[in-house]
Amino acid sequence: MYYAELLLIGLVWGCTYALMALGLTLVYGLLRILHVAQATVFTLGAYVGLLVANHTGSLALAFVAAAFAAGVLGPLIYRLVYQPILDKPPFIALVASIGVLIAMEDGFRLMFGPYGLSFASNPWFTSTYSIGGMTLNVVQLWMVAAAVVLLSAFALFAARTRAGVAWRATVSDPAMAESFGVGVIGVRYTNFLIASVLAGIAGVLVGLLNNLVEPGMGSVISYKGLAIIVLGGLGSVPGTLVASLVLGVVESYGTVFLDKVMDRDAIAFLFLIVVLMVRPRGLLGKAH
Amino acid sequence: MDYYLSVATFAALNVILALGLNLISGFCGQVSLGHAAFYGLGAYAAALCSVAGLPFAVALLAGVLTAGAFGIVVGIAALRVREDFLAIVTMGVGFLFLGVVRKQDWLGAEMGIARIPSPLDKTGYALLAIGAAIALLLLSLHVRRSWMGRAFDAVAQDEDAARTIGIDVAGYKIAAFFLGTCAAGLAGGIYAHMTQLIVPDTFNFIQSITILAMVVIGGIGSSLGVVAGAVLLTLMPELFRFINDYKLLVYGALLLAVMRFSPEGLAGFVRRLTGWRPA
Amino acid sequence: MSMKFRSTLMLAAALGAALAAPAAAQTIRIGFHAPLTGFAASDGKSALNGAELAVEQINAAGGVNGRKLELVVQDDQAKADQAVPLANKYIGEGLKIVISGSYSGPTRAAAGVFQQARIPYISSYAIHPDITRAGNYVFRTSFMGEVQGRAAGKFIGDVLKKKKVTLLTLNNDFGQALSAGFKEVAPKQGVQIASEYTYAMGDRQFGSIVASVKRDNPDVLYVSGYFFNGGPLVAQLRAGGVTAPIVGTEGFDTHNFIAIAKEAAEGVMITTSLDRDSSAPAMRKFIDDYEARFKTPADMVAASTNTAINVAAAALAKAGPDDTGKLRDAIAATRDFQVATGRISFNELGEIYKAAQIQIIKGGRFRHFATIDDPVLLAPPTK
Repeated sequence: MYYAELLLIGLVWGCTYALMALGLTLVYGLLRILHVAQATVFTLGAYVGLLVANHTGSLALAFVAAAFAAGVLGPLIYRLVYQPILDKPPFIALVASIGVLIAMEDGFRLMFGPYGLSFASNPWFTSTYSIGGMTLNVVQLWMVAAAVVLLSAFALFAARTRAGVAWRATVSDPAMAESFGVGVIGVRYTNFLIASVLAGIAGVLVGLLNNLVEPGMGSVISYKGLAIIVLGGLGSVPGTLVASLVLGVVESYGTVFLDKVMDRDAIAFLFLIVVLMVRPRGLLGKAH
Repeated sequence: MDYYLSVATFAALNVILALGLNLISGFCGQVSLGHAAFYGLGAYAAALCSVAGLPFAVALLAGVLTAGAFGIVVGIAALRVREDFLAIVTMGVGFLFLGVVRKQDWLGAEMGIARIPSPLDKTGYALLAIGAAIALLLLSLHVRRSWMGRAFDAVAQDEDAARTIGIDVAGYKIAAFFLGTCAAGLAGGIYAHMTQLIVPDTFNFIQSITILAMVVIGGIGSSLGVVAGAVLLTLMPELFRFINDYKLLVYGALLLAVMRFSPEGLAGFVRRLTGWRPA
Repeated sequence: MSMKFRSTLMLAAALGAALAAPAAAQTIRIGFHAPLTGFAASDGKSALNGAELAVEQINAAGGVNGRKLELVVQDDQAKADQAVPLANKYIGEGLKIVISGSYSGPTRAAAGVFQQARIPYISSYAIHPDITRAGNYVFRTSFMGEVQGRAAGKFIGDVLKKKKVTLLTLNNDFGQALSAGFKEVAPKQGVQIASEYTYAMGDRQFGSIVASVKRDNPDVLYVSGYFFNGGPLVAQLRAGGVTAPIVGTEGFDTHNFIAIAKEAAEGVMITTSLDRDSSAPAMRKFIDDYEARFKTPADMVAASTNTAINVAAAALAKAGPDDTGKLRDAIAATRDFQVATGRISFNELGEIYKAAQIQIIKGGRFRHFATIDDPVLLAPPTK
């Protein structure tokens, strides 16, 4: 029962990671950029969502506002930060992204204060739902539901829509896609839009989950997100999903059983390093 | 006077750290996001030795060699992975170091190692740090021009091509890690004795990023540029008092601006302005 | 600009300087450093608020022997490599006394510098034991971590009379010290430690810990941490069905904790030095003035820095700012001095003994619950 509960918790954590990591893998798959600044979009979504929720009392409106704000910021970061340096070595983009992250984190602190903000009304904060003796917080259930819905929507998008097909083509072979008339720029913006909306919604969900929105809330999840996309095999969407869930479970068991030996982040990264030593391309990575 | 001495000493330590990272990432092209771990390894090893009563020089040497030894291990691991994977693996090494050290009682766990004996005075540390920084700079400049530097360059540009012309790519990668991490270990040893208390959190990911920022802003690959970057970033909080509350905002914006407008850093900027390429 | 305008400007400037000069010579400058930016900025802000309030209160009451106090504030980002140059800067600028509103790493590093320069240095809330061991010029006006942990041990065993406890400990020096102090005392109070789990500073999701606590089923929980971990943790424990009483630490002593944990905060008890129901005038004045000034309830960090400034000011009143040796002696001689956090008396090491306050959250506010007054148990080290 205990072990089953740990597994369940790990899977829930994995869903949270998946929402963030998917965005990272989308950006990497298309542009080979480690978009650490995803954390900024995540945090902005959380702040906007919280402020709207506290002012209007409507969580639905909060999500819409968060998605909107994130959807604007993400592509904006692409346009202002990444697009001009696409031809440079990739670590330039990484360092620029880190610059954005550091600056915006301080920006959030200056705008909203260092203490963090809480939701005035967080209806499901302490509500629980029991499944066979194991309890899950209702917000966690929303998180899982959101992950499932959004990821399925994305899968449908990629498989069935014109834009989705164009996107897949551009990821696989940009030159070929362009020669077939695919608007590569449009694909890039769509890519960032999707990645950012996912992050923004995840931000509000995590904010509700913890009842706390703070300036630095995105960093840890963003750096772990990088570990996840590498673990899954850079650029592979299914790999990212598998890696997210696996990492969540590893952390869940690890934090209890390896407690005296190392802390949570070390467990995650040790797992990553071990996997990479055995499979240098990640769990489901393809050769480039 | 003491104020300038202590600023100069910290600037010198940062120079040592930055030059070390430059060897690994700049000269040899191995992106490392975990350099603070080696800073920490040097600090801890040196601190343990000193607290156990060993002489200062022995402690410093222990710091250098411990960091270097782990540097070799990471270098070997780095052979398995490339580029972006390597960046994340080195980031992971940093988190792993921190996560393990903070749990070890014999390393002081969260309380760290305290009451580290301090054999030198302020001027002594300043001279030591600055001396070491200068020596490392000269070493870097020398390596750059030597056959080792050319081999590093070949590995950085295109390691498959380098392999085909007979360069021992693996050997050079490991050598780069060794040299760079030894430098970090030296800085760590000096730091531990100066501040007499070391705690795990000092050697975290943010510290790794700070060192990387110095290298990148100075101009990755350029020893002189990196020195300038390290000195600039150390002095920035002191020089720009009025931006105090916006410190991190400015710092992040600076990183972003340099990457956007002058990815080769200060060195690149100087080159475009004067035509002289700082080594 | 025109000649006439320029000469008027210069005249005004000269006049201004002339008028300002005598006033400036009157202020006594106290150094104060805190993590105003970086990961510890929330504590830095509280620290600064508490210190500024103290200066305002003292100046409003006439200052120190007629002279106004002035804070010289520096940001150390909670890093030792910022704190050391900054300490040297204070010394170079001729400051005679400095207060640390920061964490242990930077405080200990700066303490060495100040001790060497014979400048009195007071640590407001950093918990590392080594700080006061830097020398006789260094003082601490707050609990050491171990002492707080011991108070919690006594409280749980003696007052709550619980037998089986699970510790949830934060992975940092604060958490570790509290846990060590608790474990020292618990067996003597008849408390058995069923289990201990630790978590990282950045953790906000504690599912695996909650599941483990449910399995272990202790009578009581002792949780160390800050409001941003403790808040979510306590909420998740309650949501997970853990009904055992929860005893927290002064890191939770801020209304931010209650804002985050909401109903889950009800009934949580904390060991701290601030008593919201206190009738002691110094404490009352601090609590009321803080809320009036900053439009938000006071917290423990602010109370700590407020205390330190007051101790410094009292010593300055006795010995004057010119001879740092005499100033140091005046601080060391502080006995039963009533401040925001209780009564201050220093021992030979520069540590204090004071009673620990146990507060409980009732109706969304901190209320008095108990006091642990045990000079033997809570005695700080003397060397």
